[in-house]
Amino acid sequence: MNARRDGWWWVAGALLGASMLSWIADQRVSLTLQAMIYLAGVVAVAYRGTRTQSAVTAVLSVLLLNFCFVTPRGTLRVDSIEHLVTLATLLAVALLISNQAANLRKETLLARLGEQRALRLQGLAGELSLLDDEAQILNVATSILREAYGPQALIVLSRPEGLFPPVDDVSVADALKHCIAESRALGPGTAFWPDLPTWFLPLRAGANTVGAASLPTAQADLAALHHAEALCALLAGAIQRARHAARAASARSQAEVQGVRNALLASVSHDFRTPLASIIGSVSSLIEQRDRLGEADRDRLLVRIEQEARHLVTMTENTLQWARLVGDSQPLRLDWQSIEEIIGSVRSRLRQRDPSRRLHADVPGGLPLVQADPVLLGQLLENLVDNALKYSDGPVDIQARMQNGALAVAVKDRGPGLGDDELLSVFDTFTRGAHAQGVRGAGLGLAVCRAIALAHGATLVARRRSGGGSSFVLSLPVAETPLVEEA
Amino acid sequence: MLRALVVDDDREVRGLIASVLTVEGFEVVTAVSVSEARALLANAAPDVVILDLGLPDADGAVLLSELRERHRVPVVIVSARQDEAGKIALLDAGADDYVVKPFSVPELLARVRVALRHRGVSVAPAQTRYAVDGLEVDIECHRVVLHGAALHLTPTEFRLFARLVRTAGRVVTHRQLLADVWGPEFTEHTHYLRIYMGTLRGKIESDPAEPRFLLTEPGVGYRLADE
Repeated sequence: MNARRDGWWWVAGALLGASMLSWIADQRVSLTLQAMIYLAGVVAVAYRGTRTQSAVTAVLSVLLLNFCFVTPRGTLRVDSIEHLVTLATLLAVALLISNQAANLRKETLLARLGEQRALRLQGLAGELSLLDDEAQILNVATSILREAYGPQALIVLSRPEGLFPPVDDVSVADALKHCIAESRALGPGTAFWPDLPTWFLPLRAGANTVGAASLPTAQADLAALHHAEALCALLAGAIQRARHAARAASARSQAEVQGVRNALLASVSHDFRTPLASIIGSVSSLIEQRDRLGEADRDRLLVRIEQEARHLVTMTENTLQWARLVGDSQPLRLDWQSIEEIIGSVRSRLRQRDPSRRLHADVPGGLPLVQADPVLLGQLLENLVDNALKYSDGPVDIQARMQNGALAVAVKDRGPGLGDDELLSVFDTFTRGAHAQGVRGAGLGLAVCRAIALAHGATLVARRRSGGGSSFVLSLPVAETPLVEEA
Repeated sequence: MLRALVVDDDREVRGLIASVLTVEGFEVVTAVSVSEARALLANAAPDVVILDLGLPDADGAVLLSELRERHRVPVVIVSARQDEAGKIALLDAGADDYVVKPFSVPELLARVRVALRHRGVSVAPAQTRYAVDGLEVDIECHRVVLHGAALHLTPTEFRLFARLVRTAGRVVTHRQLLADVWGPEFTEHTHYLRIYMGTLRGKIESDPAEPRFLLTEPGVGYRLADE
């Protein structure tokens, strides 16, 4: 209690100072002024010391004044009635002032404590409002509680497998479990276990108790307990909010999965029925009209069956891949890739489908590496180039450039091009450009491309080229490549 | 990369065996005495040991028996001693093979491969010369020539290229390349591989965006075309 010890120095100092001043001014001023000087000393102590210390100062001031300056000097006897009244008044006023000053100090301290608590609640509320994640909330909560109640302060959530984070001390763990089970505050100031040096407070949000806090405390006053309970209520609310958010996100993703399933069903009935019907028709003809069909007709039917079957295989693969990309959360295997390599492998794979070598590449050196899945990205580019080769007759260019801080890979053709309304809708599932009627598409091809682009955090847009044709541009985000030692 | 320990006090023989094994793709460590070999073995066990018998501080057979107590490393003895009894004794004592000096280098390499194969490590003979469509490589002479003009490769570029040449025609995974060229701590540093393969393509290929020699298997690794 250093403050208390300091207070006594103030007492000594005030008495000594007042006495010296009075002594110096002794013959020139009246007793009343000397009384005032001592009073000033009492006031000083009242603002610096405890109530006891200022009371002691008051009494000692009166005695000193009496002894040193009231005639007869050197004794505690008082000669005149007037001097006696002065002394009595001095004592009364001094005690009154010291009492009031002590009250004022106490009130100021309480107000400051209240302000501190209010600020803490406000700060906690502010920080919690930004957080959605249970683990993060726990971290913030623990640090704020430790700041206020010391390093032993704990906050735990109740989970089906037990307390989280797990508590080593068995007695503390039991107390916390009891607190959660009964949803009841335990410790000093409450009706239960008031002799403990720790509060165990439940985190209650509405009807649920989501966890509990263990707060070591030295004070047992109700105001402190209410403040602790207020903190716990805030934390419980935030945790409840985080849990609701998690549930909402899970519901959303389930709805998405449902949506995918519905789209898949639509795909199966739509795009698969036609080739299947064609196969069945051809097979029936072969069976029923077996004898009447000429060899050329039979061959034609057999070729058609094979083509339709192959088309079904392509569509099945596209459908599955699109569903996987849309449904899964992390189907990609990302690593540093060189776009030059991916384009190179796409070109060599397409060699056979491009006998007249219409495909040209423009890939400058020095392009940055990108984080990508090489198989999926290769498939995306292959789809785009395949489309370009199918829907156009002229040259097809694949070009890579840096554009606006992103790596832009463009597949350009000189085909019929897309209408304004088609530039966006062409990426929707099961649509095909108006000009593409004569050529078979696999329905989902561009939808798969867009899904792959999205999964990479990239954009895929279709544009019309001046001079005719289409340009499909994939813009890949470029992060900073880690440094490589030169050798 | 496989590690070989060559123990021989004759500097020329030691150097010859070491360089031959290096060209073949081994990481080679040498020792001139039994005590030095012991120290190296305590540090890290090699994948194969080439052991001479006439060492300055003890007979190589001593090291052989110590090796057999603790490791299962294949040991090929290389010695000038020819007596049959000695050979039999050493083979019975645990040596995997016995090659008499002077020996032929290809034969030594083949026997090392056999010894490794018997321990379940199958090593194909490395291709150290490559000549396809104007690109000529000789790993031993450290020479790369493209259409008659010599190409200059930095040490790392050459190590990377040589690794692909040694298994020309076969795919080498990213991990294997990173481990063999940079070291086992680098198997996750894919960006190193991409950057260096990019500069190699720039130096060797006429169209790096559609390579003739340095082929990419997306998601798997790289392959040097063998035709």
